[in-house]
Amino acid sequence: MFKNLLKKKLISAITFSTVAALSLGISAPSSQAASTTIRLYVSADTNILDLWEKTLVPAFNKEYPQYDVKVTFDRNGANDAQTLAKITAAVATKRDPGIDLIDGGMTTTLGTSGLLFPLTGNLLPNLKMVPKVLVTNGKGGIPYRASTVLMAYNSKNVKTPPKSLADVLTWIKANPGKFTYNAPSGGGSGYSFVQTVLDSQLSASEVQKLQTAADKETQAKWNKGWEILRGLNKFTYGQNGTYPTNNAGTLDLLAKGLVDLAPVWSDQIASAIKAGTMPKDIKYYGISGPSLTGGPAFLGIPATGKNRSAARFLVNWVLSPAAQNLIVSGSMNGIPVIPASKLDPVIGATVSDINIAAIRSPYLSPNAADLRTAWAAEVPGK
Amino acid sequence: MTQIKEVTVGDSLAVKKPARLSPLGFFMALPPVLVILVFIGGPILIAFAFSLGFTTGPNRIVSLIGQEIYPKTNWWGTFDAYKSVFTDSRFAGNIKATLEITFVATALVIILALGMAIYQRIIGGRLAAILMALSLVPLFVPVVIAAFAIRTFYDGTGFFKTIFYHFGINFPTLTMTNNAVTIGVIWTSLPFAILMISSGLQSVPNALIESAQDAGAGIMRIIATIMIPLAFVPIVIATTFTAIGIMGSFTIPYFLGANQPTMLGVEISNFFGPYNRPQHSIVMAFIIFAAASGIAFFYIWANIRSAKQSGRI
Repeated sequence: MFKNLLKKKLISAITFSTVAALSLGISAPSSQAASTTIRLYVSADTNILDLWEKTLVPAFNKEYPQYDVKVTFDRNGANDAQTLAKITAAVATKRDPGIDLIDGGMTTTLGTSGLLFPLTGNLLPNLKMVPKVLVTNGKGGIPYRASTVLMAYNSKNVKTPPKSLADVLTWIKANPGKFTYNAPSGGGSGYSFVQTVLDSQLSASEVQKLQTAADKETQAKWNKGWEILRGLNKFTYGQNGTYPTNNAGTLDLLAKGLVDLAPVWSDQIASAIKAGTMPKDIKYYGISGPSLTGGPAFLGIPATGKNRSAARFLVNWVLSPAAQNLIVSGSMNGIPVIPASKLDPVIGATVSDINIAAIRSPYLSPNAADLRTAWAAEVPGK
Repeated sequence: MTQIKEVTVGDSLAVKKPARLSPLGFFMALPPVLVILVFIGGPILIAFAFSLGFTTGPNRIVSLIGQEIYPKTNWWGTFDAYKSVFTDSRFAGNIKATLEITFVATALVIILALGMAIYQRIIGGRLAAILMALSLVPLFVPVVIAAFAIRTFYDGTGFFKTIFYHFGINFPTLTMTNNAVTIGVIWTSLPFAILMISSGLQSVPNALIESAQDAGAGIMRIIATIMIPLAFVPIVIATTFTAIGIMGSFTIPYFLGANQPTMLGVEISNFFGPYNRPQHSIVMAFIIFAAASGIAFFYIWANIRSAKQSGRI
């Protein structure tokens, strides 16, 4: 056992030094041959595709025309399982997975399984501006923008929205049928509300355990939270223990005026209000005690991608103040991962009061998967 | 070899002509069989092995990623994954919902299709032709679009809700219930059943119906003793295909159903994706497969019956 451990350590030390040596050789991107293709795989909603295709890639190409970014889009990560299997298989057999850079929820899973190209501040100079906590949580994935779940409310019907989680729970019971959240399996906004209720019944160290390692023992302490959520069945929209399928379902109920309060993604609600698909009466805010979760979106470079050094160069650019300005100010309405003080002063002012390192992060993916299945078994229709 | 052939020929000579063993026929049938064996049979076998806990070879990657994988404990595998699915608190509700919706919706579809087909066969005319054409419309509407339309129609701001609201009646919101799923699957399955059954009734000879009428039989009697028995095989085929289609449906229950209990099609997708339990989802897929095979038995039985009647066997 001990011997094995030693062997593992030795191997990882060797890999690390090889990687470091390799990367030193290619750390000067300007010496790249003309037109390198970066195969970017976007597994997210359409607003993320727009961010890349209409904002980031054109700006990147303007500065560095020698790179050609080819975007492949997988809407809402419908093919995540296959893509994950493809990358896992490619890395296991040391072949090119056909993807140089991934933007999607699977990045942390890949990172946890050790399938991403390991990155440090030396390889990505701009990574030094990003809070260390986020980088550690990425497990090899690189945080490049953030969004968080907020409470949205219909200001026509709700004059003073509840400010803390406890107040929200009281409000739900006082206003039957006027609140909902979507099934955690279908979207992150409902997931966040569920995790927040569960977290409110756990100690800080227990929450941290679930954020960092697969932990069945701590999961057993979710019971109190399930009870609270079950208690809401009679008071949420429909009043029969059913919940919308996904993020869009929640937004739809909110836009039609069927519910007055619901957890939503910060970027989705901001974009919907801007686009006019959400009435102007809908406002949003953050709750406290505990706050709803959110966090960074991670980019991942598969360990065996053919053009991984070019991908790394693109990632470094995405972390630069110029690119972060675009993420905040464009149609994305994202939260930057670098300090607001480094951004354009006007743009920086809009996000200066958000402390990205303080956004409560979701559980590690195995625990998150367990939460989704446990919710379905414990809450709806009970 | 030749001897055996002679014996068979001799035995069956009185009943039918001997079948000629043509190599050409064999090779013509080969491509579809090969495609099914390689691209469908192979993956099914691999998946079945995975459900029994064979986690190596082609199942290695999925076992690396998935959670709560039960590896085999005996040389033949293990039933642990099946046990885990059967003891899951949601499973009983899900299978009950699946079977209930399948049974109720299939029964309603066949009754509605029979009514439509009998009306067209006995009364006919322009109105029947228009109704028939209208009833086939769902065949040309993609299921996703239909599901979304039905959801909008029955949800909290839907048609009925709005109409009844003006009369001060609170019409129930049907979306997110299994009643909405039943309505949805009936809507999508109806055209095929109507096509199948009405073509079956069309082939009932006019002479039979007319002579029964001359003998004083009423309409109900003609339907019960002449039309339905003669169109029995198409009716069985329509029933089995409708039931199998409904049992495996995903889009309609996903858009219209409750979170729990839900139909197995949705649950399989949940376990495969968001819950990250691929082995469980494969186990459930085999359970649906077994149930559908049970229904398919009737299809085969009906086919054999019709083949016997027409003297093919």
